[in-house]
Amino acid sequence: MSLRLSFKRRIVELILACERGETVPEQTRDALIEDLAAWQAEQNPAYAKLRRRGPFPPALPTEVFRRMRVATHPAHEDLRVFVSSGTTSTDRSTHAFADLSLYDLAARVAAKRMLFVDARPMKLVVLAPDERRAPQSSLSYMLSRFSEWFGSTAIWVWHDNALDLELLRDTLRRASQREEPVGLLGTSFAFVHAEDGLGTSRFELPAGSLLMQTGGYKGRSRQVEPATLRASMAKRYGLPEHRVVAEYGMTEMSSQLYETTIREPDREASRRLWAPPWVRATPVHPDTLQPVDGDALGILRIDDCANLDSVCCIQTADLARRKENGIVVEGRAPGALARGCSLAADVVLGSK
Amino acid sequence: MSDEEKTIRNRARSARASATDLVRAGAEKRAMWLESASKPLCGSDDPLGQEVRAALTRTTGLAPQMVDWGLRTTLETVRRESLLELVRAGNATFEDKPTVPLGLLGVVLAGNVFAATVRALFIPLLFGVPVIAKVSSKESSFAHVLRRSLHGADSALTRAFQVVAFTGGDETAERSLLAEAEGVSVYGSDETIEAIRRRLGGRLPLFAHGHGLSAAVCGGAALSESRIGRTIAAVALDVAAYDQLGCLSPQVIYVEEAKRGTAEMFAERLSQEGLTALGSALPRGELPLSVGAAQAQWRGTGEIEGSLFEGPDHAVVVSRDRPPRWSPGYRNVTVVPVASPAQAVEAMVPFEGHMKCIGVDAGSKAGLLAALRGNPKNTAYACAIGSMQTPPFDAPADGFLPWHGLLRVKRR
Repeated sequence: MSLRLSFKRRIVELILACERGETVPEQTRDALIEDLAAWQAEQNPAYAKLRRRGPFPPALPTEVFRRMRVATHPAHEDLRVFVSSGTTSTDRSTHAFADLSLYDLAARVAAKRMLFVDARPMKLVVLAPDERRAPQSSLSYMLSRFSEWFGSTAIWVWHDNALDLELLRDTLRRASQREEPVGLLGTSFAFVHAEDGLGTSRFELPAGSLLMQTGGYKGRSRQVEPATLRASMAKRYGLPEHRVVAEYGMTEMSSQLYETTIREPDREASRRLWAPPWVRATPVHPDTLQPVDGDALGILRIDDCANLDSVCCIQTADLARRKENGIVVEGRAPGALARGCSLAADVVLGSK
Repeated sequence: MSDEEKTIRNRARSARASATDLVRAGAEKRAMWLESASKPLCGSDDPLGQEVRAALTRTTGLAPQMVDWGLRTTLETVRRESLLELVRAGNATFEDKPTVPLGLLGVVLAGNVFAATVRALFIPLLFGVPVIAKVSSKESSFAHVLRRSLHGADSALTRAFQVVAFTGGDETAERSLLAEAEGVSVYGSDETIEAIRRRLGGRLPLFAHGHGLSAAVCGGAALSESRIGRTIAAVALDVAAYDQLGCLSPQVIYVEEAKRGTAEMFAERLSQEGLTALGSALPRGELPLSVGAAQAQWRGTGEIEGSLFEGPDHAVVVSRDRPPRWSPGYRNVTVVPVASPAQAVEAMVPFEGHMKCIGVDAGSKAGLLAALRGNPKNTAYACAIGSMQTPPFDAPADGFLPWHGLLRVKRR
């Protein structure tokens, strides 16, 4: 049996244990991360250049995904390459997969546990392009799988870079009348466009409905403070706030983190992101890259075992702190900082 | 805290009204006034010196030692003789034709490097131009302390220097600031400058001091065994000063490489000997977390694409095969090997028009200046490594002489 296959089996076991509701010891996950990272360093000379700085294997900066191919397999074995939708930089992150079965398993098990907790399929209304129109988008891929796994039907209301407001309004009105629970899924900026475009329209979505938003604004809409947007959307769609949750994911990851409130409706004050047991989410100090103490703010490191074919240890540019057994993300640091009269070079180059 | 429109307008009028007195005082008296006002702030013996140190440590995030270094190295250069020499040089450019200073200059200050405030305010005052300065919301204390010190040195002349505060982009307040002005100097981001330029619509001359980059160049002679220690110390000071927050901070160091590995040797020594030593004498200030996030990306990518040498408060990356990624500052710097100083100048071409300062070792200066002269778009001025952050008063800024726009030929 190849080492890759052996690792895949260990990862699948971890994910399936979670699906069965078993408690997965952190040591099991951590040992897998260690072994997987060591193997990935052997397969990927660029990753091998990173020096270990403490208890964890080195974490690959997400920026590297924008600058070079990060994969343990040759390009001709690529089954799918996801590309990020960044708009502030000319180069975008790419993440190559030789196999999507782990991605699918991780996405399904996490979403089933934290989002689609009711067994029966629901009507999905998606404020994002569908997979055929955005084949490079990992989000569109995931939402398309959701429509297959969790949807009775799926209505895609984002076409040609714009929100189809009429379709959204009509779909929600009909759903409200039919007492049919709806899952509203989409990007944060698409929901802001909906807020701006729906005017005074209000809906009373049936019990069991939910809303999941993801991603930053990327300059594609006005920015709204998360709690404000959440309250505003809950009011507009007639949802209790605990049924409005954020998902945290990125092109460079194969797994997703979800806010906890659908599963813990009575613990709004404890709203946080839940990392599935095959993912380790750790705020680290920016100078030492070591875990910060307690609930101090740090930069978020993600160790995602489902990143089998690339690198599982990722250093993000997001700011986060621990909260209970999860984390809270408090924004993404700008990659290029214009400070006073000083300037990062991509600003200069962008102006030429 | 923002000043009311009426206050801004009154202060502008007051400054403008003092123009005649400022001119009549003469260059000698103005130079003495500026020198006298600088002395109490140079050291920490004077209560005002103590106060400004405490305030700047709080508002800038720099370490107290760095604030002290910045104040001393900037204000010690405010000397009567050198100021008068500057005035003579300025007058000489008009071929001794009689000149008249602007009646009032509006100055919009940036908040990144407090020391830049001295030059921005003192040079107009030296040339007899009253100033009304709008402070940055990030750092507002220094201009106020300067005014108090100027007042202590000569209360009458200090009417020619007024300070106001308001939120950037407040058009009403900005109109009041500039209602009496005959010119405006703007320090800050290109966006800030363009916004003010748009609002002015050509009504006033605008002297822009916007976004910029700086670099250092070390030729082969500076890397010889007998000289490399001094070279490393000089470059380290240029990198560490003001935690690399200013546009005079080198982001890239071009190193002449006769044989492969020289750049790595230089980077290692810069880290271990230069920046580590300065970490004790001039500690880095607290790293903002948002910068820390960018730093982690920059360092990790540098380690993969080149070679990384790091200490507890700094990092040096050698970048060979790709264009250098410009660092987030805070003592993160890139070393790029080049075949010659002239090749370093070529490497800066994509940034021409934005280059502010090029620090160069003595042995390479002639070659570098020759290469720069061949490029009419160059706006950077060259200075010795180790002095990039302490520009003399007569150093050009953004391609212009220091007195640019402050004087007009008097009509007969």
